[in-house]
Order: sequence, then structure tokens, then C-alpha cells
Amino acid sequence: MKELFRTLGLAVNGIHYPDMITEENKITFLTGPSGCGKSTLFRILNGTLDPEEGSVLYLGQDVRELDPLTHRREVSLVSQSVFLFPGTIRENFRQFYQFRELPEPDTEKIHFFLSLCCLVADPDTDCTTFSGGEKQRVYLAVFLSLRPRVLLLDEPTSALDTTTSRLLLKNLAEYSKKEGISLLMISHDPGLADEYAESRILFGEGCRITGEGGGSHE
Amino acid sequence: MNEIIQLNILQFSLIYLLLILVLILMKKSKISQSKLLLLGTFRMSLQLVLAGFILTAIFENPHPLFTIAYVAAMVIFSITRILRKNPWLNSSFRWSVSLSLTLTGLFILGYFTQIVIGVSLFNPQYTIPLAGMIIGNAMTGITLALKTFHESLTSGRNRMETLLNLGASPKQILLPDVNRALETALLPTMNSMLGMGIIALPGMMTGQILSGTSPSTAILYQIAIMVAITAAVCLAVFCSLHFGYRSLYNQRNQLNLPR
Repeated sequence: MKELFRTLGLAVNGIHYPDMITEENKITFLTGPSGCGKSTLFRILNGTLDPEEGSVLYLGQDVRELDPLTHRREVSLVSQSVFLFPGTIRENFRQFYQFRELPEPDTEKIHFFLSLCCLVADPDTDCTTFSGGEKQRVYLAVFLSLRPRVLLLDEPTSALDTTTSRLLLKNLAEYSKKEGISLLMISHDPGLADEYAESRILFGEGCRITGEGGGSHE
Repeated sequence: MNEIIQLNILQFSLIYLLLILVLILMKKSKISQSKLLLLGTFRMSLQLVLAGFILTAIFENPHPLFTIAYVAAMVIFSITRILRKNPWLNSSFRWSVSLSLTLTGLFILGYFTQIVIGVSLFNPQYTIPLAGMIIGNAMTGITLALKTFHESLTSGRNRMETLLNLGASPKQILLPDVNRALETALLPTMNSMLGMGIIALPGMMTGQILSGTSPSTAILYQIAIMVAITAAVCLAVFCSLHFGYRSLYNQRNQLNLPR
């Protein structure tokens, strides 16, 4: 397996991260108590935040030496707080794609990614009428459709019921394997991690790694 | 033209009686701002009386240095007011605002006096009142634009972070908010032009007519000053925002938004 990320002596906002390695084309779960810096680590990994100390290597290269926009397009961070533009699903795809200077995706493509995210809806439905869980899936569908190489998912199932969460994870796991997308996921659902994690990083108090699955840290 | 009627102190002080009406209405409407009204009236009166003395002295002893000092005081006061109302601005943004107000204000003022009227920029009779209107309106425009922009930054934080995570550039993310703030700042000036002459005779024109200038001359000055104010507001706000917003992200395209 090829090394995806390697962190070396990372520290930010008073949190000192233990060094860790994640591997390409794997589903890696990050679990641990709230406030231990998991979301901050994701921001460092996709280059929207620089660490105060230490560095992150992505495919062997220091993230700070990479073109930031190209890196973020390759390593997309799906944050915990969902944002959708006011309007229909199609308008959302259009607007997000405009920010990436891409043409609007066709209906078939929108349908495909919606169903991948377990959402059966007409692309012309107004998103403002959606529940939190539905919005979360549209949001995820947009990010997935942009075909990143790595997806950093910060609690992607937090607004979903258990059945839908599992189904979504099953679809995500299959799709990412097929398309060669590496998934790093923060989750507070131990059941999901048990079922889908190929590698696991457990954060303890003060961000000490307390365990792993799949040999993902040093 | 009829000669202007000079107000004596007794006549003049009668105008303050109107404030009693305002105070009664405020009390009836439970608006607890009577202290502010009195303080505002007192400060306005005192400041204008002082300005009157200073202007009389400058007009009687005209010297370029006096004109420069008066305009500089106006600019410094305006900048201080903007910066005090916007403590969220970082150091680069503060510089952008200060330089934009100063340079665009002086440019419009110079164009108006030297090229349009054809008098020296150091002529206090023209430069000082025109500077007051140009810089004062530019200050109001910038304050309104910054307020709107700051509201967009705080309420749109999630949108900005999401788009950044997706790989959009900070410029793409922030420009729509910059343009919206510019539009908001320009609207009051443009709206006031729509009703001018019908709904109200503007202050400068009223002042000129009262002091004996023919209405046709007063109107030409008023049109010119309105166009100059619109240009000054637009330029000052445009430059403040366009140079300032760049300080909200770094070379690594990371946002540094105010809290």
C-alpha cells in the first residue's frame, strides 16, 4: 500500500499530534472525544490551515510546497456543518461547479450521486424544504461528484438514522474502492468504524493515539 | 437679489425651541435618547461655532498651509471615525481604508477645484467646504460598506469555509460580498440624486441661496457637487474594499476572517 499522509511533529492551538501515517485507497476512521483536534487535523491535511509546528507529507511531498488550490481539489474536506446555496439541488450543483470553473453536471450524473448518497429526489426540488439529513446527503453528493482523490469526511452521517448511515457507508465504501478514492472519516459511531474501517486512528485525551486498526500510525 | 437678513442671537436661539417638541415626542414614544439629542445638539453647535471662527480667520488670512491643515484635520477625523467603528479591521485593511479615503478624496477635490472651477486647490473658500462634503460622504460610504461587508463575513462564514475546502480561491469566494457592499454604499447617494430638487433642496444649495447667490449658480454647483460626491464615494469604497479584502487571505490561499 502506498503512503498517503505522513504527519511529523504536528502542533496547532496547543494540541500536539502524535506522528501518524495513512495509506492510499483505504477507509481510515478517526475516532476520539470531541475537542481533541480531529477536525483541525483535517484542515491541516487539506491545507486550509498551517500547523504552528511540524509538517504534513502528502504522497511524499510537504503540503506547504504544493499549490494550495490544486491540493484542496484533490483532497476535499467535507466539513461537519453543511452548507447549501438557497435553491434546488440542480442549482446547488451548478453553483458549486461554477466555483470550480466546471460546466453544470447533467441530470443523469446528479441522479447517480444522489442515489449513491441514498437520496431519492428530483434534482429540481428546493433544498430549503429538506431535513438536516437530506441536506447532508446533497452536500456529500456534490463533493463526491467532483471526483477528489481523497475525501476527508467530518462526521458525514451525524444527521442520519442508523439504517441510512450504514447504507450510505456501504455505498461509499464500494464507490471509493471502484474509483480509487481514499477516505478519511471522523465518526463518533463505533459501530460504523467496526464495520467499515480498514484502518483506525483512536485519539485519546490530549490527542494521544491510543489504538489503531490496520497499522496506520507510527 | 435681496440682501441677506442677518440673524441676531435672540432670533437664532428661537430655533432651539423646536428641540422641545422633539424631546416631548421622544418621551411619549419612550425613546430614552434625550441625553444623546442634547449632547448632539450641543456638540454640533459648539463645533460649528468653532469652525466658523477658524474659517473666518483663514478666509481673512488665506495661506496654503491653513487650507492644508484644515483638510488634513477633516481627513484624519474621518479616518479615525471609520477605524473606531470597525475594530475588526486588521492592520493592512486599516491602511487600505485610510489611504483610499485620503487619495481618492484629494483626487476628486483637486479635479473639482483645479479643473472644473478653475481655482487653486489651496483657495480656502472653495476647497474647505467642498472637501467637507466630499470627504464626509466618502466616510459615510466607507462606513456603510464595511458594515455590510463585515455582516457578510460573519453570517457567511460556513459558506466561505465550505467553498475553500472545495478548492475555490479566496478571491472567488470574497468578491461577491465585496461587490454587494459597494452596491449598498452607493445606493443612498444615488437615491438622493433621484429626489433632488423635487423632494428637497439640498443643504449646500439652500445655504448658497440664503446667502445671496443666484439659484442658477447654486444649482450648477449642486449638480457638480453631487456628481463629485458620487464619484468620491464610489472610488473610496471601491479602493478600500478591493485593496482591503486581500488582507483577509494569505499567499497560501488560507482565509483569515475576523470573528
